[in-house]
Amino acid sequence: MIRQALRMSVPDYMQCAEDHQTLLVVVQAVGIVSEENFFRIYKRICSVNQLSVRDSQRALFIRYRHHYPPENNEWGDFQTHRKVVGLITITDCFSAKDWPQTFEKFHVQKEIYGSTLYDSRLFVFGLQGDVTEQPRPDVAFYPNYDDCDSVEKRIEDFIESLFIVLESKRLDRATDKSGDKIPLLCVPFEKKDFVGLDTDSSVLLGLKRHYKKRCQGRMRKHVGDLCLQAGMLQDALVHYHMSVELLRSVNDFLWLGAALEGLCSASVISHYPGGTGGKSGARRLQGSSLPSEAANRHRPGAQEVLIDPGALTTNGINPDTSAEIGRAKNCLSPEDIIDKYKEAISYYSKYKNAGVIELEACVKAVRVLAIQKRGMEASEFLQNAVYINLRQLSEEEKIQRYSILSELYELIGFHRKSAFFKRVAAMQCVAPSISEPGWRACYKLLLETLPGYSLSLDPKDFNKGTHRGWAAVQMRLLHELVYASRRMGNPALSVRHLSFLLQTMLDFLSDQEKKDVTQSLENYTAKCPGTMEPITLPDGLTLPPVPFTKLPIVRCVKLLSLPTSLRPQKVKSLLGQTMSAKSPFIYSPIIAHSRGEERNKKIDFQWVQGDVCEVQLMVYNPMPFELRVENMGLLTSGVEFESLPAALSLPAESGLYPVTLVGVPQTTGMITVNGYHTTVFGVFSDCLLDNLPGVKTSGSTVEVIPALPRLQISTALPRSAHSLQPSSGDEISTNVSVQLYNGEAQQLVITLENIGLEPLEQLEVTSKLLTTKEKLSGDFLSWKLEETLSQFPLQPGKVATFTVNIKAKLDFSCQENLLQDLSDDGVSVSGFPLSSPFRQVVRPRVESRPTNPSEGSKSGDLGHLKTLEAVLNFKYSGGPGHVEGYYRNLSLGLHVEVEPSVFFTRVSTLPATSTRQCHLLLDVFNSTEHELTVCARNNSELVLHPSECQRMAIQVDKFNFESVSESPGEKEPLANLKQLEDERQEARGLEISSKLDICWRIPSLKRSGEASVEGLLNQLVLEHLQLAPLQWDVLVDGQPCDCEVAATCQVGDPVHLEVRLTNRSPHSVGPFALTVVPFQDHKNGVHNYDLHDAISFVGSSTFYLDTVQPSGQSACLGALLFLYTGDFFLHIRFHEDCKSKELPPSWFCLPSVRVRALEAQA
Amino acid sequence: MAVCIAVIAKENYPLYIRSTPTENELKFHYMVHTSLDVVDEKISAMGKALVDQRELYLGLLYPTEDYKVYGYVTNSKVKFVMVVDSSNTALRDNEIRSMFRKLHNSYTDVMCNPFYNPGDRIQSRAFDNMVTSMMIQVC
Repeated sequence: MIRQALRMSVPDYMQCAEDHQTLLVVVQAVGIVSEENFFRIYKRICSVNQLSVRDSQRALFIRYRHHYPPENNEWGDFQTHRKVVGLITITDCFSAKDWPQTFEKFHVQKEIYGSTLYDSRLFVFGLQGDVTEQPRPDVAFYPNYDDCDSVEKRIEDFIESLFIVLESKRLDRATDKSGDKIPLLCVPFEKKDFVGLDTDSSVLLGLKRHYKKRCQGRMRKHVGDLCLQAGMLQDALVHYHMSVELLRSVNDFLWLGAALEGLCSASVISHYPGGTGGKSGARRLQGSSLPSEAANRHRPGAQEVLIDPGALTTNGINPDTSAEIGRAKNCLSPEDIIDKYKEAISYYSKYKNAGVIELEACVKAVRVLAIQKRGMEASEFLQNAVYINLRQLSEEEKIQRYSILSELYELIGFHRKSAFFKRVAAMQCVAPSISEPGWRACYKLLLETLPGYSLSLDPKDFNKGTHRGWAAVQMRLLHELVYASRRMGNPALSVRHLSFLLQTMLDFLSDQEKKDVTQSLENYTAKCPGTMEPITLPDGLTLPPVPFTKLPIVRCVKLLSLPTSLRPQKVKSLLGQTMSAKSPFIYSPIIAHSRGEERNKKIDFQWVQGDVCEVQLMVYNPMPFELRVENMGLLTSGVEFESLPAALSLPAESGLYPVTLVGVPQTTGMITVNGYHTTVFGVFSDCLLDNLPGVKTSGSTVEVIPALPRLQISTALPRSAHSLQPSSGDEISTNVSVQLYNGEAQQLVITLENIGLEPLEQLEVTSKLLTTKEKLSGDFLSWKLEETLSQFPLQPGKVATFTVNIKAKLDFSCQENLLQDLSDDGVSVSGFPLSSPFRQVVRPRVESRPTNPSEGSKSGDLGHLKTLEAVLNFKYSGGPGHVEGYYRNLSLGLHVEVEPSVFFTRVSTLPATSTRQCHLLLDVFNSTEHELTVCARNNSELVLHPSECQRMAIQVDKFNFESVSESPGEKEPLANLKQLEDERQEARGLEISSKLDICWRIPSLKRSGEASVEGLLNQLVLEHLQLAPLQWDVLVDGQPCDCEVAATCQVGDPVHLEVRLTNRSPHSVGPFALTVVPFQDHKNGVHNYDLHDAISFVGSSTFYLDTVQPSGQSACLGALLFLYTGDFFLHIRFHEDCKSKELPPSWFCLPSVRVRALEAQA
Repeated sequence: MAVCIAVIAKENYPLYIRSTPTENELKFHYMVHTSLDVVDEKISAMGKALVDQRELYLGLLYPTEDYKVYGYVTNSKVKFVMVVDSSNTALRDNEIRSMFRKLHNSYTDVMCNPFYNPGDRIQSRAFDNMVTSMMIQVC
């Protein structure tokens, strides 16, 4: 068995330089010992790894192994720390009957390492009774595993006994002066070379000397090893130096390498008392202060000049090496350590069988270099180690080898290289040649490579800007993690890793890869949906959740105000109340500034409890296929919020796509929209806005006010396609349209329904006419709110009605230019002696207009629709929101198309027989396509065919405008004259219209309406219609006399004639002289003025009136005597001279008097 | 003849990597990625003292069985890594040096492009052509 193991095959990758000073003790279990119990004891044994030997400053270090291949033990002569010097056996034995058998096993165990053992111990657990009474030095009995306090003490004793053997061996070898008898130490594979070589009888002196030197050199090296183990560092150094010299001279390269390595080890121990092996070294430091003290003593010396190797004696071995030779001077400098290591390794590499030695030397050198922070050189050693070809390694050994390479690379700061080898190790765990792939181990190792690839599994690290990493290798690693976790049977992990891959590497995935990754993600999530819970791995690593913030990508988040009709408005509180609370200043820029900042976060509109509120996101899909986002909803805080999730499907590579997420706030207060949640490919994601890069948001906090009722209005009218564009900015929720003929009135019934959940308590209605260039007369809209309010409060679901009267009364005058044309006819306005007021006027020009296309467009207004637009505002409130002072505003847009009904193309007046009256002549044009009748007050109907124009005469009383027009003039004394005049004229027109009371009717459509003339009254017409300020009254026999009605009198009786003047003008008038001229009308155009015989005046025929003061009255009396019967007219004339020129002639229009003289009655 | 040429940003992520299409691309990714350890080590070893006179050429980073990996670092810490076939013994240090210099010049041209955003992947056709010429040309 020993012969076969010529090569040491199992490398100990954990070795470090200071292991050279340790004694190797194997701890093993025999029989059936549970692993748990064994390692409990093993741990306690291991704690005794260092012992200060009594009465000296030397320290002994122990290295424990629970497994050690015996073939490695064969190399114990080569390097003594490889030699198993102690054996501790742990066994269970419950009955004395079993004891002999157990003891036999212990002996068998001893046999395995028999040749090298210094001492051994057996720990027996469970045995009680007689056997335990017999004191044996190498056996300890314990009743059980809990009751074994003296284990440590036992070990210490054991180590001491080891030390005694070691020390004796050392002294034995060191003092052996007879060079001839020095045996040749061999490594296992050398032994056969020296078989049969008779050194004593060798004839060749040279060969003999050569052989002797070799023996000396090897022995020196061996003594050096023993010295090192015995804690005599300086002696060891000296022995090594001498050994190097000896062996170099005989070209014994393998042993020269070992001597050099021993020198290095001793120097390292001297330089780095903390150790190079990491953890074990640290423990050593804690264990005793001795080595560090020694280090302090020696360290300065390390920098000193090396001892001249030539000064060393090569003949014989001087036991007292420490006396003269400078202690520190033998120690190698840090640089030299590396050089010697290199040299040693180069010697080892000459022997194929020494591969393990070479490999371990490399590892040791790397650890030293790591301490020295010389990464480059260390990497060269490691590179060399990689290429050392041992025998065919088992898979497990390969894993171990790669892992250790990885650790070493990590040690020298080559994190990437380390990660590379760790990954290779991980892959080795699941190599196809392994029957039971270790996916767990693979996964664990893969996780350890993450830092080397600068990859953290926290998606937050990828939110900052663009991805900065080696995407190709990172993606590969993530794929492997996914696969490993799947094979481990942990789909939740696979989903998490795959989500992470998709989220962070999206920019680097090709289209095909995107498809593949999402496909497999969907497959996994079918079994195990992705959650937002962090996954904690058994080894403590936590995988944070991966929200899909890139699927879809959100660019803009905007909280939307409620639609205008539902937007709550605050009843204005007392002015400045809020401001004064904050600051004594009415305005301060500082406050304005801070408010501006506030606005960044808080939005200046409100949401209403119980109403659906919206948030608009602009999203896009970066995937090359359609992306289905399910269960997309809002994440909010502050207010109880019922989110109503939406599902959407985004087309491939879509542009920005608006998505509206909705929800209903259930309570009031400040609500903050923190983010949104989605389900994509079966993975739930909570995306917080704070973590989203490049999201534009205009604040995310909004106030929720208490609930308000909701009003819905509907009308019987059709909806209008044409929506109003009001200037003031408020939007119209509903638009209705109605068509009316000019002057027509209609009732609009509006149905008010409370569709909310709160009672509607308050309602206010206002209307606003949108600016129009049309002249509108009368009230366009009028209503009575009281009837509606009597139905209030309106409970949810209840309906109320509200009636609005619409009256469209626009200008009935013709287009101005048309009017101009018509008045060109030269029909004089005044004094046209028409006996018949009705006259048919046929106006071919008007009729020809529609047929002439070029003119038709120009005069389009004549036959065209006119539009009136108005907005009805409903302000309503109720419920808790009303208490808080909020109301809502609902607007109804009203679009009225006014078709022309009739036009008054021309207007003129004719004086009537009475001075108090006159005839108003209107040319009425029917612009509808239907037959139309027009009638004025107390007049008969006038039938007009389509596009027909007829004249219509209306007898009207003259108007006294002064009383009307005075009042506005007084109110606005500063208004300019023109405006004043306009107003006055308007007021007059209104009065005239109301008196005229013109109506039209379309019998075929059963529609009717009014018409007014106010727009077309000009100054001249008005003057005629106006009652003169000088009112003349003629009284015959005290009876007022006017018009056609004749006063009767008897022939022969004097008739009193009184002319009375009432001055209503603001100036005083007069005096006037009047002459009464009687005449008879023969009804044939002949007036007979020659009536001196028939009438005689009593007194003068001329009357005189004095000056009449304003609002004064004056009268003059006369008398007439009719001598014959007959009809007589009296014409009262002014004398030319007394008629004032500045007063208009119409003021002096006296009624003509008709007197019928009858036969005197008997 | 280079088998792989890579340009690596200051933050150690690839700006450009191109390898012979016949080989496994990922292998070169790993090779270049791990070579950054050596580059880092070499840069830190050089220290900050001699920034001006510093030699940009880093020399052989490490040899593998089949390839040799060479490195070059600009003053702005952008790294160029070139993998050459180790069987190609004709390739001397000087040739490698001149190849890196060419690469550096071409990279400078890329950076001069006002439309190139520093830190983005290099997609310049001129740079591509130059790399192609280096990968084909037998020095």
